[in-house]
Amino acid sequence: MKIPKRSIRTAKQLFKSCVRDGQLDESLVRRVVTALLQSKPRDYLAVLMHFKRLVKLEIQRRTAVVETAIPMDPAQAEQLRDTLERNFGAGLRFVFAHRPELIGGMRVQVGSRVYDGTIRAQLDELKAAFGAEWRA
Amino acid sequence: MARMIQEPLCMSSILQEIETQIANAKTGLLKQDVGVVREVYDGVAKIEGLADAMYNEMLDFGDGVMGLALNLEETEVGAVILGDYLRVRQGQTVRTTGKLLSVPVGKALLGRVVDALGRPLDGKGPIHAEAIYPVERIAPGVIKRRSVNQPVQTGIMAIDAMIPIGRGQRELIIGDRATGKTTICIDTIINNARLNREAEERGEREYRPLYSIYVAIGQKQSNVARVIAELEKAGAMPYTIVVVASASDTAANQFLAPFAGCAMGEWFMDNGMDALIVYDDLSKHAVAYRQVSLVLKRPSGREAYPGDVFYLHSRLLERAARLNEKYGNGSLTALPIIETQAGDVTAYIPTNVISITDGQIYLETDLFYQGIRPAISVGISVSRVGSAAQIKAMKQVASRVKLDLAQFRELAAFAQFGSELDARTQAQLERGKRIIELFKQPPYNPIPVEIQVAVLWAVQNNYMDDVPVEKIKDFQNKLTEFLTLRKAGLLGQIRAEKAITDAIAAELKAALEQFKQTYR
Repeated sequence: MKIPKRSIRTAKQLFKSCVRDGQLDESLVRRVVTALLQSKPRDYLAVLMHFKRLVKLEIQRRTAVVETAIPMDPAQAEQLRDTLERNFGAGLRFVFAHRPELIGGMRVQVGSRVYDGTIRAQLDELKAAFGAEWRA
Repeated sequence: MARMIQEPLCMSSILQEIETQIANAKTGLLKQDVGVVREVYDGVAKIEGLADAMYNEMLDFGDGVMGLALNLEETEVGAVILGDYLRVRQGQTVRTTGKLLSVPVGKALLGRVVDALGRPLDGKGPIHAEAIYPVERIAPGVIKRRSVNQPVQTGIMAIDAMIPIGRGQRELIIGDRATGKTTICIDTIINNARLNREAEERGEREYRPLYSIYVAIGQKQSNVARVIAELEKAGAMPYTIVVVASASDTAANQFLAPFAGCAMGEWFMDNGMDALIVYDDLSKHAVAYRQVSLVLKRPSGREAYPGDVFYLHSRLLERAARLNEKYGNGSLTALPIIETQAGDVTAYIPTNVISITDGQIYLETDLFYQGIRPAISVGISVSRVGSAAQIKAMKQVASRVKLDLAQFRELAAFAQFGSELDARTQAQLERGKRIIELFKQPPYNPIPVEIQVAVLWAVQNNYMDDVPVEKIKDFQNKLTEFLTLRKAGLLGQIRAEKAITDAIAAELKAALEQFKQTYR
């Protein structure tokens, strides 16, 4: 679906109004969506689509995905939360996942930034280095 | 005893060092910036994420497919895919590499045919390059440069005499299709390969070889194969790199090929050597860039070209330069080619490139079909810096030739009245006709500069006035044969002295009188 420029602009403005102190206010987001659906202004679906995309990107940016080969103990997890919040600012959403295929170590992704200390990643890198040309 | 204690201590410190290094390696984190492919179409991908991507950074799509970040937008990154874009899927992970697009450079590439990324296409095995250079680089600044003062001998008499090209110059070759634009460039490459080889054989230390790079952009594979065959036949390949982004390559590769070729040329320049680069041709390059820009949804301007198409060519051609002694004395000469439509030089891309370059050689279809080949229109072709690079001998003979031809063009309109003209005008017309006849030259047959000088000296000193116009070519050929076979010493003298001294003039006079007696 092609979203008109005007709708993109409106969605951006609405999105900005939902940000309080650099954090996305979920209650405001809900209010915006219900208000839009009730009043149904022109192109409201397109506005909603783009609004959803902006919210999705913002959530992704503020989500830390922590993947480990074995389940983390709570103390360790707490320590990790502290470190990450110190680096990326408060208000991060944390998702902890248990993935045995990583073999060992931990992979943390915050937004598009990835810190990968898993054995799987090192093996993959080794594999790529063997198959690589001079350029890689 | 003291030594025995010291040695194990010494060893243990090394062991500790190694251990800490191993420990560091173990804890080494992979820090990456990743994104997800949102859309793929027409050789470009839109990627969400990649918050830290840099402009012109290489992106790794995995599976050996690379991309180039060209559009950094608010929520996404637009990238062109280098390689097979059909292997890229929606939702796939993309990584930044922290590297700019680079190509291998160095002497190992000479004699090879490579693609826009420097990968061999000729099946002669891998290339072990000395270095890699980024494809996009800032051109040398004013501190590093000096004015052009050494010639590039093209071996084409009309060019060497009338529109000389110097090392470090950018001379545009412009004309309609099939007017011999590529041929001029191939001739130049062949002539310089011959000069390089002869200087090598003679063991001349002070001769500066000129290496050539031929970049084919959007050309038919058959044409490229023909050019390579021609270069091989003339023995020019050992001094030449051929970079090919043919018509079947992606637009992204066609857009990158001249920059890759330029990086290869810059290596020679940076290392105090001389190189010549031919961009064949920049019209197709602009078209490829237009395609990339349009599919990336950049706003279009005149003739649907993006707004920065001028900057695209100016930053490419600015990289051709002559460096001064302090920076190694190297040079990169550029011969861009532009194909016009029905002789229209006022179209967008031709005017752009005309204004960027230091002169242009204009080829005309009419002249071509009149049998004047190379079909150089001497009147509107210019070289803004080249005459500073002519050898003195050529300056001595060519300045008169220019005047004679200009007068001939002025009078040519009157030529139709034939016998009504006075003797002086008649003489000027006859001289002009003979010079035009002399400038005709078969393709892939460059003439050494000393022979050019001798022939032009002969016409200037009235040795051809009594030869009928239709016999001029025969006279020239036989004179060339006579000089090379029997007066090789004299030619060598002209080559060494680079000027026509009184002694050489006297010897030329004697030689021509001897030749005229035998010529029938």
